[in-house]
Amino acid sequence: MKLKLNIILICTYVVMISCKHKEEYHNINEKIEDLSKDFKGISISSERYTETLNKVEVIENWQRFYIPERKSQIISFECNECHSKPLDELQGEEKIKKSHWDITLNHANTETMNCVTCHSENNMDELRSITNKPIDLNLSHKLCAQCHQDQFKDWTGGAHSKQIGGWAQPRVSQTCVGCHDPHKPTFEKRWPARYNSQMVDERK
Amino acid sequence: MNKEIKKWFSLNLSNKKQSNCGCSGSSCNENEMENKKDGISQVFDVDMNRRQAFKKITAGLVIGAGAVSSSCSVVSGDESKEKSQIEWEEYFKGNYKLMTDEEKDKTVNRLVRSYELRVGKKINLSSKNAIDDVLFGYAFNISKCQGYMDCVNACVEENNQDRASEMQYIRIHEMNDGKGLNFGEADDTYYHEVPAQGHFYMGTQCFHCDNPPCVEVCPVQATWKEKDGIVVIDYDWCIGCRYCMAACPYDGRRFNWSTPQIPEQEVNKDQHYLGNRLRKKGVMEKCTFCIQRSRAGKNPACVEACPTGSRIFGNLLDPNSEIRWVLENKKVFRLKEDLGTEPKFWYFMD
Repeated sequence: MKLKLNIILICTYVVMISCKHKEEYHNINEKIEDLSKDFKGISISSERYTETLNKVEVIENWQRFYIPERKSQIISFECNECHSKPLDELQGEEKIKKSHWDITLNHANTETMNCVTCHSENNMDELRSITNKPIDLNLSHKLCAQCHQDQFKDWTGGAHSKQIGGWAQPRVSQTCVGCHDPHKPTFEKRWPARYNSQMVDERK
Repeated sequence: MNKEIKKWFSLNLSNKKQSNCGCSGSSCNENEMENKKDGISQVFDVDMNRRQAFKKITAGLVIGAGAVSSSCSVVSGDESKEKSQIEWEEYFKGNYKLMTDEEKDKTVNRLVRSYELRVGKKINLSSKNAIDDVLFGYAFNISKCQGYMDCVNACVEENNQDRASEMQYIRIHEMNDGKGLNFGEADDTYYHEVPAQGHFYMGTQCFHCDNPPCVEVCPVQATWKEKDGIVVIDYDWCIGCRYCMAACPYDGRRFNWSTPQIPEQEVNKDQHYLGNRLRKKGVMEKCTFCIQRSRAGKNPACVEACPTGSRIFGNLLDPNSEIRWVLENKKVFRLKEDLGTEPKFWYFMD
């Protein structure tokens, strides 16, 4: 009887030990969950890769990160340098060369959107929301977010935002206009960057 | 006392005085050295009979003879002697996995010097170990990829892949809408304007499985999973049997059928021992999440090159990382999940 009990005890002990084997998880999610339980940061940062970049800090959807500063990148900023008069008067002057000729607007249809949906008629140096509130050009994502809520949510989380610099903190993300031309936001068709003749032969 | 503890017999062909470890007297940590078994002592400690021993010695002699003949020759200069010395020590070094940090530094220095002697240019070769509390993961957005293949070009340039055989770690599969993930009907050699009507694009590469079958089958343990989750290969330990290539269910591995050809001006000089350093004929290679970049805090070359932002890379253990947000908020899936390979490469849609 005592021997039996001993054997059972030993068996349970062995089972307990063998199940508690370290580095053994049932799946990767379990491993991630366990190892990140008391995550306190890491020894490296990606800061030096974005040191020279002008950044703006944003907090959206409880996520804090940086985006590239925009105003200094626009060649013809500030707009007030040309737009000294109201639009009506500027348009009336026939002799002046047509400005912004290089911009084609292909963003929704004209029934939905035109220039003044995003640009303010009165102050060209800033954007405006649907309800006529001013939006800073550096924070143009607020303008896009009015319609593109899903993309905006993914952008704040990181699923729809290209990282700049590196994967480590601090997080610097490309803003909407960093990839999409706001006047024609869809990506254009083009030829692939690579043609692999060896692979074509292999597949024959 | 003027003796350095080494794991192999040194020729010491160049007449330079070798600097020794600063241990004088009895405090030398001989015991510590004896306790650690690296590749070479493992080889020597094997029980073997006379016949086997003769076989191995002869094989070693044939290789050694070449080195000795050139080094002892009066005609050849100091440089060629140094070269043979490096070749000798490289031949007898152990498996990288078992090396101490000091040994890693030594082999890195030898390889840098060897490249300098051959080509006359300096490379920046790293042996940086995994960072604590980091587990790398990758996510790929199949609704955003447009099939431009900029990632493939960036990868080839970054990782010094063979230009002659047009090796590429990444494949972009053009799939038909409405037919699911049908790799049999997908085209990974397309060359027409993209994105093509009625198609979507899906990239594959090494998925850095958490339970990698390629590691399991390697008969010489030349491939293994690092602490940060990257599956790596020691190109100097690989014997080129291609078991791993057969074991990989994702076509993630590539083999060098010939010596890789890269024009000298295109060689990426920022290298890692386990990453993009120059390979030789007859060894395996594959994506390493650009180990030379990722361990320095940068994104892999493909992530950086992607113009659509389809590729997301980061630390799975950081609850605030973008990759974690994707895993927790998007509907993600992996390829052949039922195999239990646990790839650390997730796909998702907008």
